[in-house]
Amino acid sequence: MIIRRWVDSSCLDYAILRLAALLVPRRERQEWFAEWKAELWYVLRGCNGGAHTSCLNREALRFCLGAFRDALWLRRNCSTPNSRPLLWLQSPLQCIGFLAVVAAVAVFFFFHSGARDTILAAELVHPEFIFPYLLMIVIALAILPATTSLGLGEYPTPPDSPARARRFRRWIFLGIKFALILPIVSCGTLDLAPILSATGLQPQAILVGYVLAFRWVLVDQRRRCPVCLRLLTNPARIGQASQTFLEWYGTEFLCVKGHGLLHVPEIPTTYSTQRWLDLDPSWGSLFS
Amino acid sequence: MAIEPKLSHTAAMILQAIHCGCVYGYNVMETTGLPSGTVYPALRRLEQDGLIRSQWERQSVADAGQRPPRKYYKLTRSGRVILEASQKRYPLLAKLVSPEVE
Repeated sequence: MIIRRWVDSSCLDYAILRLAALLVPRRERQEWFAEWKAELWYVLRGCNGGAHTSCLNREALRFCLGAFRDALWLRRNCSTPNSRPLLWLQSPLQCIGFLAVVAAVAVFFFFHSGARDTILAAELVHPEFIFPYLLMIVIALAILPATTSLGLGEYPTPPDSPARARRFRRWIFLGIKFALILPIVSCGTLDLAPILSATGLQPQAILVGYVLAFRWVLVDQRRRCPVCLRLLTNPARIGQASQTFLEWYGTEFLCVKGHGLLHVPEIPTTYSTQRWLDLDPSWGSLFS
Repeated sequence: MAIEPKLSHTAAMILQAIHCGCVYGYNVMETTGLPSGTVYPALRRLEQDGLIRSQWERQSVADAGQRPPRKYYKLTRSGRVILEASQKRYPLLAKLVSPEVE
């Protein structure tokens, strides 16, 4: 019985490690898992020597749960050199096109599934049916600052460039993304209503969907070149994580068209946000 | 005047533990009393900063001991320099993490 319990608990430990390993970047995963598996062997060996097996197995479980933190750290800090962003989101047109296709699919399924009829029926009974959805959007916008910074970064405006047009284009792009995200989340959650309502989590799912979508829009906007609106690439770490005093520590991104560099601090503060550095045309030969 | 890099107390404890002969992650955990979710990311950060380096044990050695191969950690030269500076900054460090007695 005790042996069976030990086997069950070690299986659970390995399952936790396997699950955490999914968070680790692919090229690091095998070595990461080998290390944690080996370390777990020592933890379990220590457990077997003890008298209170259940207590010591809890120790092994606690050890394995720490793997998630390690995996997340690796995911966040081990950026692949020369990594390229997703092709269908790279340029502003590709991004808008992709969102438009997803929105069209979500709306199509909304009109060709039972969701639309359900909504119309509910609207007839309760004309104020739409208000909960509007309320969800307002609540999601209120929650948003807790999940990500609302600032879009500092962009210096050179006097000889059409800065106003550039800023206007950025805001238009942001507005279009928000406009396309709304039908995706609204119709998407209604399309999935039969599944979500079965779990009783539909209102929460809609709210979480809005928050995640709005967060993605802001994060995506901050990772784009302010000139050409393409996603920035080639992340390079600068500074040392364990020596944060008196030194800047963060990541530098590059516009593949050579428009400039973006410096993103690891720990954003009120006095240190992400900064854009324009490169003058003399750098052009490096990027052609 | 050269700027002296400063480590957090946790990072200094881990460096001290490695210096004292705790050469793999679980060993560092046992010595420092820190949880796995703190020790392993700190080890990776210290390695990324060039203060420690890691090396996998040879499979034949592990097979002879009938155990999985360990990933060993070792202080680099700059790690040793930083540890000395940290020992001055945190005088109780040597008492908190004393050399391992096998």
